[in-house]
Amino acid sequence: MRPTRREFMTWVGAGGITLGLSRLALAEPVAFLARETLPGPEGWNPAAGGKGRIDGVAKVTGSKLYASDFRAADMPGWPDATAHGLLVRAPDATHLFTGIDLAALDMNARPDVVVTAAELQRAGTRVPAFYAGDLFCPVGQTPLYLGQPVALLLFEGFDAFDRARLAFRDRRLVTFGAETGPVKAPNYGAWRFTRVAGATPEAPDIYAPIQEGWISPGYTDSGGRPIWKVLPTAAGPAYAKGATHGEEIRAGLKDPDPGMLVLERAFETQSVDPMFLEPECGLAWYDTGRETLEMVLGVQSPYEAADAVAYLLGEARAPWRPAHIDAQFAYIGGGFGGRDHTPFPLYTALAAMFLPGRPVRLAHDRFQQFQGGIKRHAFRMRTQIGVERKTGRIAAFAADHVLDGGGLANYSPSVAVVGATGAIGIYDIPKVDVTTVAEHSRGVTAGSMRGYGTLQTMTALEVLVDEIAAALPMDPIAFRRRNALKTGGRTMTGNPYSDTVRAPEILDRLERHPVWRDRGVQKAQAPAGILVGTGVACVTKDYGAGADCSLGTVEIGPDGRIAIHADAVEMGNGIGTALANRVALHVGGIADRVTVAQVDVFGPLELVTSGDSYSITQAQQDEAARDPRWVPGISSATSASIGAHVGTQAAAQAAQIVYRFGLWPAALDLWGIGPADPRAMLWEEAFWQDGHLILAGLDPLALPAIAARAHALGGVTGAMAHAFSRWSWSRATFNLPGGPWSADIDALAIRRGAGGFVRLERSAVDFPPADYNRIGAAFSSMCGTLVRVEIARATGALRIAAAYSVFECGQALVPEVVLGQAQGGFAMGVGQTLLENLPAFEDGPGNGQWNLGDYLIARGSDLPLHALEIEILPPASPREGPKGMAEVVMIPVVPALLNAIADATGHRFQALPVTQAMLKGALQ
Amino acid sequence: MIFASPLPRRLKALAAACLLAGLVSAAAATGQTADIPAAGTLASPDSFATIEPTEARSAALFTELGKVLTAPRCVNCHPAGDRPRQGDERRLHQPPVFRGADGHGLPAMRCDTCHKAANFEPGRIPGHPKWQLAPLEMAWEGKTLGQICRQISAPERNGGRTLEDLVEHIGTDSLVGWAWAPGYGRTPAPGTQAQAGALVQAWIDTGAACPD
Amino acid sequence: MTSLSLTINGRAYGPMDVRDELTMNDFLREHLGLTGTKFGCGAAQCLSCAVIVDRPDGTSHTNPTCVVAAIDFDGLSIRTVEGHAKDGALTALQTAFVEHFAFQCGYCTAGFLNEAQVLLERLERQKVARGDLEEIIGQALDGHLCRCTGYVKYHQAVRDVILADPGRYLV
Repeated sequence: MRPTRREFMTWVGAGGITLGLSRLALAEPVAFLARETLPGPEGWNPAAGGKGRIDGVAKVTGSKLYASDFRAADMPGWPDATAHGLLVRAPDATHLFTGIDLAALDMNARPDVVVTAAELQRAGTRVPAFYAGDLFCPVGQTPLYLGQPVALLLFEGFDAFDRARLAFRDRRLVTFGAETGPVKAPNYGAWRFTRVAGATPEAPDIYAPIQEGWISPGYTDSGGRPIWKVLPTAAGPAYAKGATHGEEIRAGLKDPDPGMLVLERAFETQSVDPMFLEPECGLAWYDTGRETLEMVLGVQSPYEAADAVAYLLGEARAPWRPAHIDAQFAYIGGGFGGRDHTPFPLYTALAAMFLPGRPVRLAHDRFQQFQGGIKRHAFRMRTQIGVERKTGRIAAFAADHVLDGGGLANYSPSVAVVGATGAIGIYDIPKVDVTTVAEHSRGVTAGSMRGYGTLQTMTALEVLVDEIAAALPMDPIAFRRRNALKTGGRTMTGNPYSDTVRAPEILDRLERHPVWRDRGVQKAQAPAGILVGTGVACVTKDYGAGADCSLGTVEIGPDGRIAIHADAVEMGNGIGTALANRVALHVGGIADRVTVAQVDVFGPLELVTSGDSYSITQAQQDEAARDPRWVPGISSATSASIGAHVGTQAAAQAAQIVYRFGLWPAALDLWGIGPADPRAMLWEEAFWQDGHLILAGLDPLALPAIAARAHALGGVTGAMAHAFSRWSWSRATFNLPGGPWSADIDALAIRRGAGGFVRLERSAVDFPPADYNRIGAAFSSMCGTLVRVEIARATGALRIAAAYSVFECGQALVPEVVLGQAQGGFAMGVGQTLLENLPAFEDGPGNGQWNLGDYLIARGSDLPLHALEIEILPPASPREGPKGMAEVVMIPVVPALLNAIADATGHRFQALPVTQAMLKGALQ
Repeated sequence: MIFASPLPRRLKALAAACLLAGLVSAAAATGQTADIPAAGTLASPDSFATIEPTEARSAALFTELGKVLTAPRCVNCHPAGDRPRQGDERRLHQPPVFRGADGHGLPAMRCDTCHKAANFEPGRIPGHPKWQLAPLEMAWEGKTLGQICRQISAPERNGGRTLEDLVEHIGTDSLVGWAWAPGYGRTPAPGTQAQAGALVQAWIDTGAACPD
Repeated sequence: MTSLSLTINGRAYGPMDVRDELTMNDFLREHLGLTGTKFGCGAAQCLSCAVIVDRPDGTSHTNPTCVVAAIDFDGLSIRTVEGHAKDGALTALQTAFVEHFAFQCGYCTAGFLNEAQVLLERLERQKVARGDLEEIIGQALDGHLCRCTGYVKYHQAVRDVILADPGRYLV
């Protein structure tokens, strides 16, 4: 259990390169992994007693922790000196790229090595499918997008690198020739989601994606836009069938009967930057002697990053193909989605392979991060909503979404789907037809960012709902309550949520809150020159991505000390502390050695995978499952609010096994209870309190005593597990010493006493059906927000006077972190609504000239620091597990602010952001 | 097409203006030189010699000088409120700094923590040893040239200066002189500092009349 | 190249020749390996790079390092996040940051810690009224950007350190 020891990793990446082999210098006192194991066995553990985070002390003392903190000299066994890479990007995507003007650099700013498209061709690298597109724009072509890399310059010394960085920033050293206009490319995906409910809530749907499958149109027009008309496709009549229902819904909205009120509105959202505070960076060294590429990275998707690098180099020619890749993953300085599946690790790997033997650091400055980092999609939406005047029930909904995906596909297809299937928010609507298309553009690549898709579509929805409630007229909260989906009701894809739907509670609390109750009084008492308005919004957000993996190990020493390893990434979300707290529920103590972002310490599970878990057929899955080592996916990104629900799942299950088959038998032994004693079966009745195991009528037992006995007895003192969820967990049975055990995991290894981990065969396994891929979302959590604004009529200056957010997240593993996420989500929502904006093309971040200052995010003075109330609802039942919440808390802030602005000014803005200048303009 | 490749965002409006005025410098078209925006020009006092009567000539001289006084380089630090502005687009200074008791900022964020003795191009930060805000009574932001003229002529609103002092202040003061060498991405004040000083002198010599 | 000597967390560095264009941030991070001081924007906008400068008169202020030349720190004495805790014992402010869960990703923490520490020391010299406290904390911290937390817990942590010892900070 030495924290520096790394288990041998046996999986083989694309191209036959072994991934994650343990590296040299295992016993160095400040090895990377030792630094990243928190809080460490010495010193204060803030998480014990709920006094703080596992990483609290490290972060408040400036420990080396983030990828950007590491240089070669910090890595035991590496050469001392660090070389530096400069990724040069195109500030133009409408002219032929003709080259970079290295001759214009001073002699002391010249690179030692230049890597361009030509060098990659010579080396024989490949581009992983997810990043399809040239890694470097070849000379003589028009860049595919603004900010596309054109060259990677490598410098042995820092000073030359620094001079060159400034020269490329401040001068036009990337040269262009003839104007070509932007590169045209097909859209990244188009879908149509249509649902027609049966006559009663109990009746089966007449048409629903869960029954019929997801459909895409088969044709595009000359401009590349999908043709949504009813046309069969080469794949069959499925599209025509769904589209026929969709067109009927639209016909009804176009020509409504007099009893129906229909509103149609356009709404646009802007491109924004995740603006995590630590710019992307990486450190890599190709050790030619061992033919090993060593990397230190900071991403939300470690497994994917290692796998992508292996694919990149898998069929490269010598000397550009390593035999081994050892990628290590650090704490990250914020992510918000923007570090999930980023191409940055590919360039970091190239830097090392083209300067062999020298550790190379590749790090964005902020200009470069704006120029090259993943952005949030800008959406253009047109929405129609039809409400039966008499009942106030929404009868039909139709929407068309167009997303600007920027230069590479990245997550665009997923964002389009998530936005579309989230477009009706919390509502139960019997007729829905939504089309969506993600387009290529020459803008900077858009991808994952907090609340992706739904932030855009639910904002459009919640301002429209507000408007139509006023038009009916009907109280906005009463209207929402009238139309809210109930537990067991069907979502747009035709499946119900697996969770309890808590809209009634949330709406009740919003309605009763003083910010809402006193809105009329506040408006009436507005001082001269100030306009006061109050807005409400309520949303639901899926957590999980429909193919979520969890890896976790829990070990307990003979002294009762606990160590946890997990593949989830710490990006501020408190996953390390959540792991410690959830594991403690089972084993009675807070871990003092937690490592996160570990993908290569689970070798004993001997996992294999194949196929794409999103598109696999049932027959393929059944066939694959015959291999007892097969799982639908090995490790997934820390994203989609899965930290609490998924990120802790495997460790929690492992902890339960350590308790049941290690600590519980040891406790029985200490209590003198034999196997025939009926009390031997009361392991679920016993509970932990203050580090002691308590069973009624018996002496409490201290954890260290139990752990020591478990070791002495050769019981289970460590468990390593893998879990997979496709809107439902895989479930398997294992033969443990002491009996069969069924749990929501699909792979397990255990350690007995001080032995090594041994894989256990699963005797039965149920993977979630392949059809579950037709679900839009089955896990969802809800949040409602109230905001009161004060707007100065003369200047348009807006002040948020008071705000309230109420939400549910099941069991809050670390309540203080949950609260902090909600406060942070509020701040980011304020930025999205009032401050943040990136122009799409030449004036936007792709030109390399953007930084904070031009781009404003919320400061303390933009927020109601002393008038922001957050309420976390208790779990729906004592057995409700942890649910994701870090995305949903941001979303209602945006429409609530817009609704408050409308209440104050009478003006409904239909595009984001709403700046002070726009408010001033609207008030004149 | 001289500006075939995109300019830094904040320079685009300027580029368009320069093209119209035929003022694009040759250097800006190559990859060899920094993207320093081209400054406007100032007419010499001589070129106003034909304007009669003298008062009109004086006012015309001040109007020419006004190209300097109303340039972003000058107005940004002569704000009407407590916050300076920055950039050619004259946005509010970020991070949000305030005038403070002495014009050097609030205790937690003083001007000289970032603005040192000289421009520092790696950080694109302008600098001068006397970097500070002009006092509120010397605010020019939002004022007409005539208002600025009357204000600058009044010692109680110009820092206690005589008219002759203004020749020195505008013509040779090194903080004012920064406006003609403001560093990357900031358009210099038009002409030269010496030309501006000459205009002030000529304006005084013609009676220091103010435009309407 | 210009000669540079300075004191960091009580330890003397230099004299050494450094490039005039080298930022103080790169001097700390690339030359000395003191990476507790972060790089966020390079434009004095986020202040995650701010360090404490101790003036000879006993007063202190924070200073961004990303837009300032290393040689501008010649002769100065500075403190960084690595220098707050003594012999492993956290300061009251550090403890409050941890116990309030003030930060999440932690990348802005060094800047907030330095700024708030300077504020505490200033209030010790110039006590303020309780009624002005929130505004003073707000002013002091407003230059610092945090993308994770929404700032509430940072402010609460600083306020609670002050309120825990009112005689020291408040009139």
